Amino acid sequence: MAAQLFSAVFVIIVGVGGCVAYFWGANKLVDLVFPARGVTGAAAIDSLRRQGLVRPWLFIGPALLILSVYLIYPVVETVRLSFLDRSGDAFVGLANYSWAFGDREFRISILNNLLWLAVVPATCTFLGLVIAVLTDKIWWGTLAKSLIFLPLAISFVGASVIWKFIYEYRGEGQTQIGILNAIVTGLGGDPQVWISIPFWNNFFLMAILIWIQTGFAMVILSSALRGIPEETLEAAVIDGANPFQIFWKIMIPQIRGTIAVVWTTITILVLKVFDIVLTMTNGQWNSQVLANLMFDWMFRGGGDFGRGATIAIIIMIAVLPIMVWNIRQANRETGGH
Amino acid sequence: MNKTLMLGVAAAALVFAAPASAELKFKPGEDARFHWDNFEDLKKLDLKGETLSIFGPWRGEDEALVRSMLAYFIEATGVTINYSSSENYEQQIVIDTQAGSPPNIAVLPQPGLLQDLASKGLLSPLGDETAAFVKDNYGAGQSWVDLGTYKDKDGTEKFFAFPYKADLKSLVWYVPENFEEAGYKVPETWEDMQALTDRIVADGGVPWCIGLGSGGATGWPATDWVEDIMLRTQPREVYEKWTRNEIPFTDPAVVNALQIFADIATKDTYVDGGKAAVAATDFRDSPKGLFGLPPKCYLHKQASFISSFFPEGTELGVDADFFYLPPMASKPELGKPVLGAGTLFAITKDSKAARAFIDFLKMPLAHEVWMAQSGLLTPLKTVNQDAYANEALKKQGEILVNASTFGFDGSDLMPGKIGAGAFWTGMIDLVGGKPAAEVAGEIQKSWDAIK
Repeated sequence: MAAQLFSAVFVIIVGVGGCVAYFWGANKLVDLVFPARGVTGAAAIDSLRRQGLVRPWLFIGPALLILSVYLIYPVVETVRLSFLDRSGDAFVGLANYSWAFGDREFRISILNNLLWLAVVPATCTFLGLVIAVLTDKIWWGTLAKSLIFLPLAISFVGASVIWKFIYEYRGEGQTQIGILNAIVTGLGGDPQVWISIPFWNNFFLMAILIWIQTGFAMVILSSALRGIPEETLEAAVIDGANPFQIFWKIMIPQIRGTIAVVWTTITILVLKVFDIVLTMTNGQWNSQVLANLMFDWMFRGGGDFGRGATIAIIIMIAVLPIMVWNIRQANRETGGH
Repeated sequence: MNKTLMLGVAAAALVFAAPASAELKFKPGEDARFHWDNFEDLKKLDLKGETLSIFGPWRGEDEALVRSMLAYFIEATGVTINYSSSENYEQQIVIDTQAGSPPNIAVLPQPGLLQDLASKGLLSPLGDETAAFVKDNYGAGQSWVDLGTYKDKDGTEKFFAFPYKADLKSLVWYVPENFEEAGYKVPETWEDMQALTDRIVADGGVPWCIGLGSGGATGWPATDWVEDIMLRTQPREVYEKWTRNEIPFTDPAVVNALQIFADIATKDTYVDGGKAAVAATDFRDSPKGLFGLPPKCYLHKQASFISSFFPEGTELGVDADFFYLPPMASKPELGKPVLGAGTLFAITKDSKAARAFIDFLKMPLAHEVWMAQSGLLTPLKTVNQDAYANEALKKQGEILVNASTFGFDGSDLMPGKIGAGAFWTGMIDLVGGKPAAEVAGEIQKSWDAIK
């Protein structure tokens, strides 16, 4: 524990220090190689022009290098693997793709992912927005916000472990240690095995992600609400708008862009959801999702690299348009800077 | 912070596998139950300065046990052993071997996964001599040799994995006191067991406790039931063909086994909590019904490890005991089949120390120092059976040594997508009331999809 803590701090210091040192050093180097001070006008202009050519590349270089090693190369490799057989030796063309769309489990996963997409981003954004508006009105709003924001600090696996205790089932007649079953039996109902009820179990898993992500939506939307000019709200009040009209007709239109960004960010996260399903059900009882299915094919029973890669590519293709739109929105929000 | 300290920290961060410390549980030469001559032979090996990395499935308490065994090898040969494990070791070993950073020795409980690694050329063969050793010195030796024999990259069959440490699954647990009070006898045949089941119901009791819950792996305890029934209704060849899908899941032999299990598990009067509780009850909580007052059930079929989940202070042989899941009187030709599992040691990165370690596993001592603690059963005939820590373990060990055939856990032999996927899911459907033939069809469909 102590060693890990020590090494974490050490890595942070080295990492941050290294970055600072690099950019500062690179900057100095450019100034030294193309001196703009203490030389005559023409030479100085020449130097400045060259500096302008070199400097951006020096600054963007590390990022480009890391991106190509850790993102572009793996993507190309994954695409290549998706056309190969299970051990990545023989070329099989589009066989993996045609398998995927004919496979029952794959279809269940796609449907479940769509269900997640329909429910989670909308619920998170809606709850986040409502909470952001309401907590501004009460004196203990900051405390409420902190509490709702807290789950964001918990890892998905950690959250799943917590929720496992909420959904825990014990045989009838035994003491129910799961909160949900304790409530149900307390009200005179029968205990249920929540995570193994087909179809509905998806919603019990979604609750975990909603619990984690609502805080994120709330914080971003809260700051967007603060950014609404007071004058527009005052003008609305003077014109006799009721609170609902103010909310729907004045506030929402002004933070539409932020809502879109929050929505899409959570959408991308949902498409990649994996850890919750792995820890809670491992895709059993028809709760499989694409990312967990990919993991299954890649590493279970020795693995089928072709099919695993194929599912990965399909997830990527699904995420891409949302991502592009998200970045455009964010750019428009910040006025393209 | 000086440089060496920083490097040390960085190294500590990179290497999570701390070298196994050499604390010997039993002092060499002291306890006459152990083959200390093995220890002297080990000392003659010159392996000073060698490092051996072992990757295995054991964590927590089991890790302490395996380290206590490794300590003898370390002490005698001077090799540094780095033992490591991971919660998802099956995935981890695939990643490590593919990434070109394998350990020297990989220990896995799944022959299917090892077969896969062997066919990708990631394992080193252990040689015919070792195969012959296993055949001659293990109970049901040929079964064990077959388990470690896989096709390599060119499709040639070679012996790749050395079996060490076995689990016994063909056991039925009961509370002797409850049997005495009710006047029940331990059944010698499957038919007797069925009669006992019906008698318990007639006496107003519940015969079985069955729990299939295991988080994301829910369903696996039922696969053991089906495998045990397969071994008691079909010859070993059929069983093995089934695990390789040379006969389909929809074959009458398999559907029949599914049906026999379903007849027990889906009968409300037969199982504690009724059939609804079977899939929902966690396998670790399931045996607790045996110890209820009055008993909630009288019989519980589960592997040897389950005794660790009995209530605190349960004395094996007194408060709880087991009998061998009986064979069918109608099929005397099948002998005494035993279902079990075990861990197999394969060399993923060859070295002198790795070879020496496999030779160490052939020595009785390597088994005895673990037998004397808990959790290890061995089919090796040359060990001193008295080394077992208690009578219950000794009884289980003898079942292994005397087995006529050893059927390895079928779901571990099947491809992961089936054995750790469709088969489990199918079992949940089966106890949920789906007809056996339909369940078999679903599993077969999944199997067809991975061919």
